[in-house]
Amino acid sequence: MSDQATPAVLEATGLGKRYRRTWALRDCTLALPQGRIAALVGPNGAGKTTLLHLAVGLLAPTAGSIRVLGRAPGKDPDLLARVGFVAQDAPLYGDFTAADLLRLGVGLNRRFDLALARDRLGRLGVPLDRRVDRLSGGQRAQVALAMALAKRPEVLLLDEPVASLDPLARREFLQALMGSVAEQGLTVVLSSHLLADLERVCDYLIVLQAARVQVLGPVDELLDRHKLLVGPRRDPAGIAGVAAVVRATHTARQSTLLVRTDGPVRDPALTVADVTLEDLVLAYLADPSAGALPGPAAAPAPNRLEVQA
Amino acid sequence: MTWLVWRQHRQQALAAVVALLAVALFLVPTGRQMRAAFDDLGLGTCLRATPQTELVTADTGCLPLSEEFSGRFQSLGLVSLLLLFLPALVGLFWGAPLVARELEHGTHRLVWTQGATRLRWATVKLGLVGGGVALVAAAYTLLVGWWIAPLNDATGYRFTWLFFDQQGPVLVGYALFALALGVLAGTLTGKVLPAMAVTLGGFLATRVAVALLLRPRFLPPLRRAYPVVGATPTESNPLIGDWVISRGVYSAQGVKLTPGSGAQALCDQTAAARCIAEYGVGAYNQDLFQPADRFWLFQGIETALFVALAVVLVLVAIHLIRRRTA
Repeated sequence: MSDQATPAVLEATGLGKRYRRTWALRDCTLALPQGRIAALVGPNGAGKTTLLHLAVGLLAPTAGSIRVLGRAPGKDPDLLARVGFVAQDAPLYGDFTAADLLRLGVGLNRRFDLALARDRLGRLGVPLDRRVDRLSGGQRAQVALAMALAKRPEVLLLDEPVASLDPLARREFLQALMGSVAEQGLTVVLSSHLLADLERVCDYLIVLQAARVQVLGPVDELLDRHKLLVGPRRDPAGIAGVAAVVRATHTARQSTLLVRTDGPVRDPALTVADVTLEDLVLAYLADPSAGALPGPAAAPAPNRLEVQA
Repeated sequence: MTWLVWRQHRQQALAAVVALLAVALFLVPTGRQMRAAFDDLGLGTCLRATPQTELVTADTGCLPLSEEFSGRFQSLGLVSLLLLFLPALVGLFWGAPLVARELEHGTHRLVWTQGATRLRWATVKLGLVGGGVALVAAAYTLLVGWWIAPLNDATGYRFTWLFFDQQGPVLVGYALFALALGVLAGTLTGKVLPAMAVTLGGFLATRVAVALLLRPRFLPPLRRAYPVVGATPTESNPLIGDWVISRGVYSAQGVKLTPGSGAQALCDQTAAARCIAEYGVGAYNQDLFQPADRFWLFQGIETALFVALAVVLVLVAIHLIRRRTA
């Protein structure tokens, strides 16, 4: 797998965070390769914000470890300078103007590309001299994003960046983001409780459910390895080439199976179709126990070692 | 960073300057009035001309003039008690929101994820705001020091409760303590209003406890005795400015005869028989007091105490800010 060639930008091992007696995130192991745009998807309360806060040092792990760009987050100004972060609802000082906020960015960061941020907001038509609490939600989100991008970060972490935006503003926001990502070549993690928000822009997927990682891997691989099988009603077990049945639905005469494959399915009785990313995610989310895991990305490393030995 | 602190706190700074001017608007005219009366009554001249002895005969020397002056301006002294609450306002409106508002609005997630550590953010912010508070408090201290000087001289009350508390460098200590308490309360609660409530309660409790329990014991009090019966009975001279902590009538054997801590008995020859009947032969009055020349020492001790408390609270707050999660 090509992913292993580049070092992981975001790496978690057995990562867990507990609030009093509830685990907000548990046994989270993942390695996000450089240059990816990862969608962090899951229902509300699945642990998305917790994971991002751990990555940016706003939270400390209860268990396991997390490394960003090879360093432990928190108390490390060098790392803070290399990570751009926009928290949920894009908190900004309401009585500051956008220009004030950019000045704040200049003052608090060793590296802050003021010209970049000004150009960006100018192109988007965001007034620099108006108090941000008088800007629209979309404009505020753009100001927050401009501040994060002006740090010229290597990693950009965005927590529900489009949740408060209307569909048009969502599209504009993501387009603007993608433009910059292409220019700056950074690694991005975007969270959302709706995959549809991010489906068109992401090439890596992390699905969290009930505080655990449920699906993990590059989008193209996930789509390659999952198939939709349709055929006469049958017992889903024991189809050659099927590693696991993620979801099975049956009518009186027909079975529809969403499966993870480990080889070609050559059963003449079955039609094999590709799945959409949304189908795949919904199938996993519908059945938390079945999900098992990330099949794709977590296993390879040991296998490779065996091969080498 | 300095600019950020200024940008975030300029309104509070402006409010502080306006408040200072408003207080000056009350203090300057009344202060001039007091100074004028102090001279017109001849109180100043009298105090300069009369050497002040430890014991004086009641209603002699400058005492009548002092009484007249007090009669005219005592109400002013009471109004000025409101000024005792000024340092608490620093804690409520500068201290409590300092961290709590960030936490309440989630903006800590913005500012703590820029390229500066929380330690730097907290030290620069608290350093500058603390410096500003100290500056404003010092300006106020100078103003009120000018204002209260004739009242101090005319009454000798400077060292007593409430008068001690509204002048001198202790004001800077109180203000810094209130600020630190507000910051810590805000860091702990994460909400502005509860932080304000905690700050007010904690400030008043600490101030009262120190004033009532600790201050009288900063140094062991001195003792002064004077007879109950005399040809021209003498009493402690209030104009010296001692702080009498307790006073009572004692028998010749040294047993305290009067309840409480304010009573004295002064009997001239006509009343001698009655006094002897009541207190016995050889009875005396006794004051436990802190002498006037300890005023600045006590101001220094109390200032140091509150500044030290402020430092401890700020260190705890910074520790919590660094440890605080999300």
